[in-house]
Amino acid sequence: MSFGSPYTTLPDFEYHRPASLEEVLGLLKQYGDEAKLMGGGVGLIAFMKERLMSPAHVIDVKEVKELKLLSNVPGKGLSIGAAVTLSELLEGGVLKKDYAVLHEALAKIADPMIRRRATLVGNLCEAIPWVDSPPALIALDATVTVAGPDGRRSVPVSGFIRGPVDIDLGPSEIVTAVEIPQVKGAQSAFEKFTGGSEFSLASVAVMTSNGGRNRKARVVYGSVNSTPFRSVEVEEAIRDGITPGSIRKASDAASEKVECVDDVLATAVYRRHLLKVITTKVLRRMMSR
Amino acid sequence: MREISVTVNGRVRKRTIKDNELLLDFLRERLEVRSVKAACWRGECGLCTVMLDGHLVKSCLVLAVEADGHQVKTVEGITDDGELAPIQRAFVSHGASQCGFCTPAWVLATHELLQANPHPSDADLVEATSGLVCRCGTYNQIREAVAEVSESSRLRRQAKESLARV
Repeated sequence: MSFGSPYTTLPDFEYHRPASLEEVLGLLKQYGDEAKLMGGGVGLIAFMKERLMSPAHVIDVKEVKELKLLSNVPGKGLSIGAAVTLSELLEGGVLKKDYAVLHEALAKIADPMIRRRATLVGNLCEAIPWVDSPPALIALDATVTVAGPDGRRSVPVSGFIRGPVDIDLGPSEIVTAVEIPQVKGAQSAFEKFTGGSEFSLASVAVMTSNGGRNRKARVVYGSVNSTPFRSVEVEEAIRDGITPGSIRKASDAASEKVECVDDVLATAVYRRHLLKVITTKVLRRMMSR
Repeated sequence: MREISVTVNGRVRKRTIKDNELLLDFLRERLEVRSVKAACWRGECGLCTVMLDGHLVKSCLVLAVEADGHQVKTVEGITDDGELAPIQRAFVSHGASQCGFCTPAWVLATHELLQANPHPSDADLVEATSGLVCRCGTYNQIREAVAEVSESSRLRRQAKESLARV
């Protein structure tokens, strides 16, 4: 057997495959802190190999019917269950028109084999600074639905991510779905720069809408700070429309006003340069649509 | 410990396993399916790729217990008559393998791509195999092999259509 090295084996745990949400909540109540929820497993299995996580119980929610639901109600929005995979979201084309920013973010995550297993909720709950779905979800003003012993609650994604690898979820709670409102006349797009690494060094998610007189713009940057960063200054620059002039203003604001960190992947100075480049790229693409 | 039952290349295989065992180890070590390679162990190289319920997945990121009651296909199972598949013959004629370590994964992935999309563009091929690496760098030869299978199936279809017209 090739078992032995810490990087190829998993710690001991008991595996559970509940069939209903009720059963999941029962298991969470029983094991709480000692348990980890598993959707596609691509994150959890990697973390367990590295011994970053060693749960005594793994609760696989893949077969829970309620969590596999994906519903699109025109005029209202999209509800994406916790067990819905990235491939299911991409292949159905459900995101392409009204939620393009999320489609573009998910289409560039890892590779088709990983996207076949990985779930959107799993990607979100990792809350690692360089994962790509949170900026897109915040740009779309998405909320997460959490179920727990005291019933259900709803939290905006922006508040759900409290810090790096820190989410607003108790040990006996589970995220059941992500809800994305449909915004009338919305246009959105995503851009990232990886420099050939597997991680984004900087990403940007943009959503604008010109529904009636109520123009809106949401611009969220990922991978440049410990949590996704929404920039009011960049939003202000494009509120009245995307033009060559407003693109220049927006990309200047991005590199000057967005807080960037120095880390092992890139320096803050380099990230500020990248913000200018990706802001220009994403807005030019939206202008030519 | 628990007993699981997985259908591998059409055969039901039962084994007693530990909950923390990877599908990769189950296939390679317990069932001795050696075409499934263990290399990076972290979902990057793609050489442990298998089909799980009709879809390509990386078996180092799947628990064996998750496959309980499901269907797995490896490169040994892509044809059922013991003959080589067209893509395998094309790999041979184009020299699309050097050391051969990654070849089973590439054959499986390109075979499945051609099943789903008989005439893939270069972009389709790059996207479909973006989770696989070949450290010998036989990418060009693999592309030629895929192009040959695509072209010969086009010719076969055209021949069939013109025969149907006479």
